[in-house]
Amino acid sequence: MTDPLRILIVEDDPETADALALAVRDLGADPVIMRNFADGLQAAGLAKFAVVVMDRMLPGGDGVDAIAKMRVAGSRALILVVSALGRAANKIEGLEKGADDYLAKPFDGDELRARLRALLRRNTMAVLDNDMLAFGDLEIRLQARTLHVGRQHVPLSPKEFKLITFFARNAGEVVTRMQLLENVWNLHFDPQTNVVDVHVGRLRRKLEAVAGRAVIHTERGEGYVFAPDRQGA
Amino acid sequence: MTPARSAALRLTLAVAGGIIALSLLAMAVQYRTTAAALHEQQRGVLAADVAAFAAFYDQRRIIALREAIEYRAATTPPETALFLLQGKAGEVLAGNIGRWPDDLPALAGEVSMDGARAFRLDARPYLGVARVLPGGFPLLIAQGQGQTEAVLAGLRRSIAGVALALVVLALLAGLAVSRTVLGRIDRLNGLADRVAAGDLGARLPGVRRADEFGQLERHVHQMLDRIQNLNRATHRLSDAIAHELRTPLNRILQKLDRSPGGDEVRAEMRAAIRIFDSLLDISGAEAASADAPGLVPVDLSEVVREVAELYEPMAEDKGLGWHLDAAEGLWVLGDRNLVAQLVSNLLDNAIKFCAPGDAIATSLAPGGERHSLAVRDTGPGLPEDIDDLAFERFVRGERDRAVAGHGLGLALVQAIATRHGARLTRPPVQKGFAITIAWPKVAPPNVLQDDP
Repeated sequence: MTDPLRILIVEDDPETADALALAVRDLGADPVIMRNFADGLQAAGLAKFAVVVMDRMLPGGDGVDAIAKMRVAGSRALILVVSALGRAANKIEGLEKGADDYLAKPFDGDELRARLRALLRRNTMAVLDNDMLAFGDLEIRLQARTLHVGRQHVPLSPKEFKLITFFARNAGEVVTRMQLLENVWNLHFDPQTNVVDVHVGRLRRKLEAVAGRAVIHTERGEGYVFAPDRQGA
Repeated sequence: MTPARSAALRLTLAVAGGIIALSLLAMAVQYRTTAAALHEQQRGVLAADVAAFAAFYDQRRIIALREAIEYRAATTPPETALFLLQGKAGEVLAGNIGRWPDDLPALAGEVSMDGARAFRLDARPYLGVARVLPGGFPLLIAQGQGQTEAVLAGLRRSIAGVALALVVLALLAGLAVSRTVLGRIDRLNGLADRVAAGDLGARLPGVRRADEFGQLERHVHQMLDRIQNLNRATHRLSDAIAHELRTPLNRILQKLDRSPGGDEVRAEMRAAIRIFDSLLDISGAEAASADAPGLVPVDLSEVVREVAELYEPMAEDKGLGWHLDAAEGLWVLGDRNLVAQLVSNLLDNAIKFCAPGDAIATSLAPGGERHSLAVRDTGPGLPEDIDDLAFERFVRGERDRAVAGHGLGLALVQAIATRHGARLTRPPVQKGFAITIAWPKVAPPNVLQDDP
């Protein structure tokens, strides 16, 4: 790739901005940091960014209000809001106002990277959005809502199908429990217990029984990775 | 409120009744004084007559008396005064009536005021002295009381008229006062109802008058302004706390991220942040329930089904019985995420406290005014030492110290239920924990389109 992806970071707290920049570099993208609302808005209009990471309580305004202005100015960047306004109601408000994802401060580096990866991936997924997602002998048909391993059909519940689809769209990347809750169950709160693990565990056992190998791997700490071709757990 | 049960009407009538009673008493005293004075006056006139006749009698006995009576009788009609002197055989010697009145005994004696008494003749009242003078001459001297009686009767009529008028006026005044007072109190009651229903911004329109009611309205408005400001301040404060605390926590997390092996510390941090978030959620839900509600129709059936679906495998893995009986298409006004969190907290608790072999039953049923969501389990139930306190923040049973948690789950359930105007009850059960939440229902939205 001759032109590395650029990610705009609009964040007034230097420590957080550094952490965000570090995560962006980890993903092989170039961070551009702006410290306030007006500069962030101006920067978004000047260059093409893959993702904009936006704080909310910025000097000069609420980052969520910048989203509509950026869209009007023609920016098609995906927007990740990272804010201390981290309650479910705040998240839903942000998503309704056009944010593509919403992460509450304080955040884990892993969680941030997982979400950034998912957004970057969505940029490329849009083009190859067809009916079938295939990984070696594992095939997911979106219209028919079926999963096949080789020639064998794997019966799945509707939720399990949603789960595997979300995994498949983020294949090879870490997917966190919060991401699964938000995208598969549409729940924007953190349950006391790791109720998601039970669901992933069941799906994983189903797939392993048919495929004869691990398809969903547990990532130390924060989440899971869907990697049908990877060896070992 | 109806005027009949109005305190203002009752008070006005009581005061008016008191005033009427006092007026009547005063008039009665006045009447008695007047009557006594009139009677005294009549007696005085009679006494003067009697004294004059006594003087004649003293001079020349019957002859003089007869002349004097003849003279007076000729000039006096019987209504004003009676004079009668009879002979020994009962014949009239002089007088302005022809016969002795019935039932009027005459005393033997001289001409004097002794034994003066009232009597009637031809239905007219008189005060008189009846005598049988020495030698057997009956004598009657009497003053007519007709005028006095007429004056007193007139007085009685006017007293009765005044009393009647007072009663009518008191009733009218009472009704008018209670109407005015009721009207203005009803306005205030209406305002209180609106505020209680969640509209903290409600105020009475128009200008305040300069009377007690205007003052009361001003005070109520000042109180509401203050509550509203406090409420806003609470909102700002919780946002500020969120920001001011999250930013440093974030820095700590970022620093830990860059140093190797801080996993345990990070887990502890996450637990602390979770408590912090739960507290903010609880106070957020509580604050929101006092403010104008921003709720939308939510398919309660769907939320319950989805959350139950989320938890079912967990219960199964733990060896718990699982029953779900949710009626379809029951809608409430709510915040989907909060409703889901409430159901999630209840199921999470049930699973956490139940031991293998126990069962958890969730049901959702429609009702007249409210949909009723019930979750019950056959687990250990609430420890006796906490009972109703379980819905307070940070309250946990001594028994459950070993189980993970911070005693915030049920507090959040309570806060979310309150936010939605839902009633929370704990039906008695033989064993385990049971909770019923009655949600105010709304009609399902009319247009339900299924995406292909």
